[in-house]
Amino acid sequence: MSVSLASHRAGQRASAARPRPRRKFSWFKYLSVVPVLVFFVGLIAFPVGQLIWMSFGDIRLVAGDLSWRFVGLDNFERALNDDAFARSIWNSVVFIVATVVLTVVLGVALALFTNRLVRAKTWLQNILIWPAIIAPVVISVVWLLVLSPQIGLLNKMLESVGLSGQAWLGEPVGAMVSIIIVDVWHWTPIVFLFVYTALQGIDSSILEAASMDGASGAKTSRYIVLPLLMPAILGVAAIRLVMGVKAFDEMYLLTFGGPGDATTVVSIYLRTVFFEAFQYGYGAALSVSIVLLVVVTIVVSFIFQRLIGRRSRG
Amino acid sequence: MADTVRRRAPFSSITALVLAGAIAATVVPLLWMVVVAFQQPRSIVTPGWNIDLSLENFLQVFSPGQIYGTQVVNSVILVVAATGICLIASIFAAYSLSQLNWPRRVVIGVLAAAALLQVIPPMTLVPGLFGTLTTLNLNGSLLGLILLNVVFNLPFAMIMLKFAFDALPTELRESASIDGASDFGAFRRVMLPLAAPGIAAVAIYTAIQVWNEFLFGLVFTTGGAQAPITVGIATLIQPQEIKFGGMAAIGVVTAVPIIILAIAANRQIVAGLMGGAVKG
Repeated sequence: MSVSLASHRAGQRASAARPRPRRKFSWFKYLSVVPVLVFFVGLIAFPVGQLIWMSFGDIRLVAGDLSWRFVGLDNFERALNDDAFARSIWNSVVFIVATVVLTVVLGVALALFTNRLVRAKTWLQNILIWPAIIAPVVISVVWLLVLSPQIGLLNKMLESVGLSGQAWLGEPVGAMVSIIIVDVWHWTPIVFLFVYTALQGIDSSILEAASMDGASGAKTSRYIVLPLLMPAILGVAAIRLVMGVKAFDEMYLLTFGGPGDATTVVSIYLRTVFFEAFQYGYGAALSVSIVLLVVVTIVVSFIFQRLIGRRSRG
Repeated sequence: MADTVRRRAPFSSITALVLAGAIAATVVPLLWMVVVAFQQPRSIVTPGWNIDLSLENFLQVFSPGQIYGTQVVNSVILVVAATGICLIASIFAAYSLSQLNWPRRVVIGVLAAAALLQVIPPMTLVPGLFGTLTTLNLNGSLLGLILLNVVFNLPFAMIMLKFAFDALPTELRESASIDGASDFGAFRRVMLPLAAPGIAAVAIYTAIQVWNEFLFGLVFTTGGAQAPITVGIATLIQPQEIKFGGMAAIGVVTAVPIIILAIAANRQIVAGLMGGAVKG
């Protein structure tokens, strides 16, 4: 059977003329969701259940088998008093605040400037998104080659103009600054892309009206374009925030959380607890705490946003 | 729009300067990796600027005795299998949720759960997944890695494809079924071809995500012959001795296919990134 446009029209006419056929039980409807359901139950729901179960236990690996002993809330109590965990949360907060603010500011600026181009816009956009699609591992390699004290591009450039090279990743503040720079380089393109796309959707007649009323380019950007872009900017800022919580690859490869614990963010700390200290129960409890923290933050900010929205509407 | 822009903000030297700077900041670090990859290992570590041309790093890293060639093959298998399974599962589920009269409450519940999964840091699920994979005896195998990549790309693929199917007119499916097509027939012959552009965008995006994935590869393989190439690169970054040349060579091999894809399929990638940045 082939369904052409003609038979589609015929079908429409027919369906207008006679009552719709009674809906039969559709095997297809239910069978279609089975694969996804199997995956979700098997590899999300079951592991999450196991995670929660593990978080209430003291778990040891005995002869290749996990032995579990119920310890109640001990693991969570320990998490509350764990200075290293607190430090990793603090590092994550510093990293997230810095990278979200910087990527959003740079991304918006880049979008506004690109939009001023008369031609070559698509060409430019094509190149500017490269960092966002290259593997984080490769991004780490790229920046190791730039930041390395011995062979790095940055120090070579500094030395050619007579300045002395820096240790960059080798010192605590330098390491945090470096991974922030790497993350900003990596993800500014995402902000750029969102804001740039939103810009294309702004009705040009609004801008024409503004320029007829005598507004300068800068004023139009500040008072007309930016407010119109706000929803896109806030949306992409939220996305960047979530990405910041998930960050792992670059720290693992560039600094391994160091020097000391200077760049140990939550994901790095979790890996250490789980795969180096082999404290499965405690690691699970930390995981549960982090997920709860993320979910609570989202729910609270959602409610907050609703409240503000309601108040401003009056 | 181009006309009004020209009148409103004449192409200024500041714009040119800023954009040239942005392009340079994007391209120069990448070019440096390419330059390092094609240098003699010896001239990489000598101070100052010694630029020469040599294939030695590539030959060394991909010589028969090395494991990196196998890992590139693993990555390709991983991409093909995980993207394929993820697409098939999500296409059916998205179509069913979009077109086959599920109660609104069910649809919203599924989408909310899928969106929530995007927000959870993957590392936090590792302890639970570790237990599950051990139970299933899949720990350390490529199959286990394929399944994990499928499941963590499913939510996004399903949400995006649901929207793709939502954009199609329901009447088309209804008229097809009036013409005697089964639910499956209407899906396969009418709706699936119409959703092809959306499916292509999701496919390319998922493939890039799987190719780039590192965390699961790192913790669920032992880093040897079962590992993807992203984990292979990591093994070259040793605290004592970083093998800059080999690292850069594998970096080039890993990045170049993605950049070629970016140039060839720019529109699909942009569509995928716009919807999928949630995934990070």
